[in-house]
Amino acid sequence: MANRLQFENNCDIGVFSKLTNAYCMVAIGGSEGFYSEFESELSGVIPVVKTSIAGTRLVGRLCAGNKNGLLLPHTTTDQELQHLRNCLPDQVVVQRIEEKLSALGNCIACNDHVALTHTDLDRETEEIIADVLGVEVFRQTIAGNILVGSFCALSNRGGLVHPHTSIEDLDELSTLLQVPLVAGTVNRGSEVIAAGMIVNDWTAFCGLDTTATEFSVIESVFKLRDSQPSVIVDEMRKSLIDSYV
Amino acid sequence: MPRRPTRHQRLKSWPITFSPFGRALARMGSVYMPKCHSESIENHTPSSASNGFIKHPLDEKPDGSESSDGEFDGVVQADFAFFDPKPNDFHGVKTLLQTYLDVEEWDLSGFVDLILEQTTVGTVVKVEDDEDEGIFALVTALNLRRYREQKCIIQLKDHFLAKASQEKGVADQLRLLLGEQAHDVGLLVSQRVVNLPPQLLPPLYDSLFNEVSWATEDEPTEDLRNSFRFKHYVMLSKIYKHKHAEQNRKLGDDSVEAIVYAKPEDEIFHKLSSWSFYFPLRSEQPAPHEA
Repeated sequence: MANRLQFENNCDIGVFSKLTNAYCMVAIGGSEGFYSEFESELSGVIPVVKTSIAGTRLVGRLCAGNKNGLLLPHTTTDQELQHLRNCLPDQVVVQRIEEKLSALGNCIACNDHVALTHTDLDRETEEIIADVLGVEVFRQTIAGNILVGSFCALSNRGGLVHPHTSIEDLDELSTLLQVPLVAGTVNRGSEVIAAGMIVNDWTAFCGLDTTATEFSVIESVFKLRDSQPSVIVDEMRKSLIDSYV
Repeated sequence: MPRRPTRHQRLKSWPITFSPFGRALARMGSVYMPKCHSESIENHTPSSASNGFIKHPLDEKPDGSESSDGEFDGVVQADFAFFDPKPNDFHGVKTLLQTYLDVEEWDLSGFVDLILEQTTVGTVVKVEDDEDEGIFALVTALNLRRYREQKCIIQLKDHFLAKASQEKGVADQLRLLLGEQAHDVGLLVSQRVVNLPPQLLPPLYDSLFNEVSWATEDEPTEDLRNSFRFKHYVMLSKIYKHKHAEQNRKLGDDSVEAIVYAKPEDEIFHKLSSWSFYFPLRSEQPAPHEA
């Protein structure tokens, strides 16, 4: 199920929060209402962690992660790194990387299997992404924009990309990512998809300005209508147990 | 028409609208080196992500030459034009009004919709033929009784009354104004980017008051015509107040003003107003990394 909310009158919630299948990070300093929306939806299923990154509230845009790991920019402080390592589940590898493009959330779009990255990312960073996040990495652009992390929102079940993406690009990306893709907008016509919404396999949060049409597109492409968190988490748990056997 | 209360707040900082004009000014002043260019993009996009107007900066590569020392010695030519509010202006106007009620969470989108629907009175300043359609200034007057049912107006009134309750006597006058006398009261909303040329201001305000008087004749129904016959205007305005103003005066330092107005015309409005009151802003300073 998808929900609408805002952070201090700002509908760009994807800037102030990050959502994956294993954890959720929220910026400190927002109202308790913002935090409690996440708690009410996610508590008991995955941990909701309040944090800052590099002393800022822009947690959604500065870090990139999935259920396997979390990548932080070199500007992250030691306390923040330690706090995240403590609060996140043990199977999530938290790593701080030396990369000059420090807004990792804008440069990397990923789900649990595949990642799209900025074309100018370092080779080493690409290897670290493949290693820590356990994904296959592709250097791509979306509608001519190299900030792939900003212009698409990706989950294991679907993806929403910049509205000006051509049909050929959509097909190509869909083949690479192996998920259905739709070109659309969020927050009443905003093209910066990842700033306006966050999504994982069973839930999504959009800015308050998102229209009913945009909302229904999101619910359909990410297949959120009849999804329950327990189903997904149980599937994950079964596969974890298998690995011990 | 006599203008009524002007409200003042101590300001933390003026919101900077990330507009193409502002970008052009910033580009003129920055040092260009191809390597640093991509770095600066990354640091900008988190804060500009909220605007929705990201035109990818790499499209406009510098001419290959480095400008020296970051000295701003260029002049940017721009033709500003006044337009009636249109539904397309939603994002620009919303950005300008982001901090209108400080950190309070309220129906800002509804308020912006209200302003954009009122095409007869209200002006939006844009650059002529600009594809980005960045909004540089907004000015409008809303009749408080006409929109009294709207959630945003109710929240606004409650906010004002809550702030006024700390000052004796003011709260009652304000309640009267917002309640019984609401049909005569116009809320004057005026916001703009910091660096807008001040030469635009007299025509901007002239056009607002002209539109109000034309509306009293041109509106289709009697009700609407009357709704623009304002007897009072109410304005919310941000100021800086010197904490140690008295001390400075004693030391003979008269050059330091006790109150600094964020918008210069507010000083004139304040002098001409019937009454006003001050209340402090609650917001914190943003961290230095955030623009």
